[in-house]
Amino acid sequence: MNHLKLVIKEIMTEKKDVFLSVLFGFLAGITAIALFGSSGYLVSKAAFAPPLYTLAFLIAGLKLMGFARALSCYGERYFSHRATFTMLSNIRVSFFEKLEPLAPRIFQKYRSGDLLARIVGDVESLQNFFLRVFYPPIILLLVFLSTIFFVAFYSWWIAFILFAGLILTGLVIPAWFARRQKKLDSRIRESRAELSTDVTEFLYGFLDLKIYQKLQGKKQRLHDTSNRYIAEQEREGKTAMFNHSINSMVSFTVSWFVLAVGAYFVTAEQLDGVFLAMLVMISLTMFENALPMAVLPGHLEDNRRAAKRLYSVVDEESEPNTIIEKKLPAGQALSLAFQEATFTFPGEDRPALKEVSVDLPAGSKTAIVGPSGSGKSTLMQLLLGVIRPDKGKILADGVNLSEVEQENLWAKINVVLQENHFFYGTIRENLLIADGALTDKDMEAALERVELDHFSLDDAVFEKAENLSGGERQRLAVARAMLKGERLWLLDEPVSSVDVLTEKTIYEHIFSLAKKDTLVLISHRLTGLENMDKIIVMEQGEVVEAGSFKELMEKQGYFYEMKQIEKNVLM
Amino acid sequence: MNDLKKLAKAHAHDRILLFIIALLTGVMVIGQAYLFVAAVDRIFLQKYSFLEVLPVLLVLLAVMIARAGLTYWSGRTGVQMASKVKRDFRQSLLNKYSRNPIQASFQGQSGQKVSVILDAVDEIDSYFSQYVPQVIQTSVVPLMIIGTAFYHHIYTGIIMLITAPFIPAFMIIIGLKTKKKSEEQMDEMAAFSGRFLDILQGLTTLKFFGRAKQQHEAIRESSLNFRDATMEVLKIAFISSLSLEFISMLSIGIIALEVGIRLIVFESISFFTAFFVLVLAPEFYNSLRDLGSAFHTGRGSMGAAKKVSEELTETEQVVEWGDTPFRYTDKPPVIELKEAGFRYKEEGFALKGISAVLSSNQQIAIVGRSGAGKTTLLHLIAGLIGPTEGIIEVDGRSLFSYEEAGWFEQLSYISQHPYLFAGTLSDNIAIGTNEAATRYEIERAAEKAGIQELVESLEAGLDTAIGEGGRGLSGGEKQRVALARAFLKKPSVILFDEPTTGLDLHTERILQASIEALAKNSTVITVAHRLHTIRNADQILFLENGKLIAQGSHEELLAGNQEYRNMVASHRGGIAQ
Repeated sequence: MNHLKLVIKEIMTEKKDVFLSVLFGFLAGITAIALFGSSGYLVSKAAFAPPLYTLAFLIAGLKLMGFARALSCYGERYFSHRATFTMLSNIRVSFFEKLEPLAPRIFQKYRSGDLLARIVGDVESLQNFFLRVFYPPIILLLVFLSTIFFVAFYSWWIAFILFAGLILTGLVIPAWFARRQKKLDSRIRESRAELSTDVTEFLYGFLDLKIYQKLQGKKQRLHDTSNRYIAEQEREGKTAMFNHSINSMVSFTVSWFVLAVGAYFVTAEQLDGVFLAMLVMISLTMFENALPMAVLPGHLEDNRRAAKRLYSVVDEESEPNTIIEKKLPAGQALSLAFQEATFTFPGEDRPALKEVSVDLPAGSKTAIVGPSGSGKSTLMQLLLGVIRPDKGKILADGVNLSEVEQENLWAKINVVLQENHFFYGTIRENLLIADGALTDKDMEAALERVELDHFSLDDAVFEKAENLSGGERQRLAVARAMLKGERLWLLDEPVSSVDVLTEKTIYEHIFSLAKKDTLVLISHRLTGLENMDKIIVMEQGEVVEAGSFKELMEKQGYFYEMKQIEKNVLM
Repeated sequence: MNDLKKLAKAHAHDRILLFIIALLTGVMVIGQAYLFVAAVDRIFLQKYSFLEVLPVLLVLLAVMIARAGLTYWSGRTGVQMASKVKRDFRQSLLNKYSRNPIQASFQGQSGQKVSVILDAVDEIDSYFSQYVPQVIQTSVVPLMIIGTAFYHHIYTGIIMLITAPFIPAFMIIIGLKTKKKSEEQMDEMAAFSGRFLDILQGLTTLKFFGRAKQQHEAIRESSLNFRDATMEVLKIAFISSLSLEFISMLSIGIIALEVGIRLIVFESISFFTAFFVLVLAPEFYNSLRDLGSAFHTGRGSMGAAKKVSEELTETEQVVEWGDTPFRYTDKPPVIELKEAGFRYKEEGFALKGISAVLSSNQQIAIVGRSGAGKTTLLHLIAGLIGPTEGIIEVDGRSLFSYEEAGWFEQLSYISQHPYLFAGTLSDNIAIGTNEAATRYEIERAAEKAGIQELVESLEAGLDTAIGEGGRGLSGGEKQRVALARAFLKKPSVILFDEPTTGLDLHTERILQASIEALAKNSTVITVAHRLHTIRNADQILFLENGKLIAQGSHEELLAGNQEYRNMVASHRGGIAQ
């Protein structure tokens, strides 16, 4: 519930739209009641053959109310939807403000790639909060109370019955449904997750299942899981129908009591019979406003969960506020050093890096090689300060990275990651991220260096740059890093999808730009490493060898053997 | 749409039930109005005593409760029908995929197929659970109301008859207009709505470039633009319900006016009749309007249904097996390819005219550039796909004359990316055999495949959960688990798709040693990427563009085939040197 408070706070910033939605919602509800109530009155009155002008007057009034009601409905819908979408915008911004300082470290905690899509989805699902949870009860209350107030002029008893109806449909029944809903939801999600796992295994593991003769068994299992899931869905669907029917049954019954009690009072001559039809019509119409209350518990539960999941991402995670305001010197190449750094990913029992100690002097060029999973990229993330070592230290220019302000560190690095993000827009916009003051000429020169000069700066970049090939994306990322022009280069497999000749040219450009800078290059391939000052060979989180290309080849150790295998592999 | 209609027809039983429920609902709607009016009339005009009206009131209460009950019943029937349809659909999809599956993994569409089985099937739900019951309801109840109106007061019936078509007509006109408008807005909306995700995904990049702080405005702006674009579309939808509201208001007004004039001016009808038609009229128009919203939910299902039926009508190339039992001997079988070829649908040949004899206990290397058809040939030999031309013989009989189980019983296939199932490490090794393996055998297999070190480093050892939801293994470790499966199974034929990239040294050594050990008692057919594998092969099948252009030993091919020489020469010594 606490998390929903944050959502309510965002809603309340849109006071005007909220007020207008409630106002029109109220008008729509009350005019409908007036409309049907007066038509009941009209027809009863007409039975006594009143003068024609009464009839004309009433029918004109009826028409007017009909139009007022339709227009109010329109206004209600318009303003409530506008408020909702504005609210979503506010939630996005405020959530981003919370998330931004925690990135990118927070992404380490959630290794599954769908965290971001989930955030987006959760924000979207909150749109139901205002529309289906927040303001229907307000309308219900306003409409009911004013109607009951009106009815009290005719009969206290009937007003009381209506009030009891309000308590039943507005409070008791939703609370009852909410309790049932909670159990149902968790079962449905569990069975869906189970089905999803089974389907994924069935299709992705098909070959192995088929060869090992496990296909029939798996199919049967999948079939059972699917049936269980469908049974849960069916139960949910039936519950929804049941809730709906119970709600309308209660509404009908209350109206029936109004009729019965009204009838009794008319026969007892405590109520004028001309009002009887009106009162029942009012009751029947009034309860239409209670219909949304049947679906409210379901939406409330959904939204509660979405809000909880959403804000729990940014909730915890406040950095221990130790000294983190140290700054690195500007405009010079930095030395880097690992001192017995150990790091284990949360939830894993094997460390990704084990007591790694390495010295990279200022201005040196270092390559880190090793098979996949050996800890190369973990090393890079430690250098970027995205993760912190569990034990040991990482130093830049002799300063412990844990004490350096992150923004200050990042400002000094030209970085190319394995997966680089590009934004929807143009090539120019994506390069300007490196430095807002760049001229077109600078950018065109950079494109030329990475052999992307067939692109113009105005060319479009689609979402996730899916209109560019893997190699083009990598080259664009290298160009962006070059344009940043800082003195520390961290490159994680920067050109792995680029053909050999282009790779060579790009490396030449990088090395000529980085002549006096510190450079760390992670590479899966073992080619083009002859000129590095040092090659660090990693396996299973440990440094198994280090030295220049020549030294390692002469030593005929791990690197040498890896090199032999690479020569041996025919692509 | 048509697929769903056909399906809905198939559930005639449920439709009849829904029709009966609709009829009963109609009776209750009319009965409710009738009894209500009757009660008011008797109390108010006829001056009955309370006790005299009580029976009418009690029947009215029963009718009202029955009406709510019928709503539940109708909804419940719809939900049940939806369940049946979903069950059938998923069943057919599963059957389809399990018959004809390898093509799917060929084309790397597994992700898409997962979404068809899971999401598309789910999305069909609302068509059956909401749309169908509502359509049946709407085609019955208004007709009954209009009939009642004609019976009691013919002019009301006529007014209803004339005004009713305006509602669907208007709905169609507005629907078409909204469609056009929303298509216009669609691109814009997609662009704005994607922006938030785009920025979140790029947050790491933005931070590294020191540009994250400035993004608030971009998010706000794109969200508000999205709001405005959406409101444009919604406004039309709201105006459409506004006009529908006006139409029904106007129609009810006309009915009220006509009834009122007759009641007061001409005094030609009774209070009862006048009140009765006035109560019925809103029920009539509401019921028509509900169809509109049901139609909206139904339309969402149609896209999903189309996806599912497209999958189901996709042609398949089924492999039919025979019933000859596979004879086990100590000697691996002789496999012979006679002019075998494979083509996938109309897409041209992946393999054509392959003839080769793979003798018992040989080591065979399949070699060729990427796209030459190496893996397809491996699948063909495995019997995962059937040749579209020629024949594959095993021990002198067609491969497909044997029992499927018998063939696979003595076959292992080690792919480049072995799949790990959710379960323990031990389960994942034991999947190699159909017989219950003892713990000792599994441990031995793990040891032979060089994973004992990994096992020892894990707290739970062989009982560590891996695969989906479990611990991740590196590429090299997965390869070794696949090897352990083969060691446990002791097959007579091993198909091996050698990894294209270098693994860690440990795994490389183990792979090499294990394949040599396994080859002692088996035929090993490898899609080879390593020179030592190729050199050690008794026979090399050299493929180019789906054709077998040379076969023989490494030396023979080097001496006799220019293409082969070129390929080996261009790669020897690694790339770019």
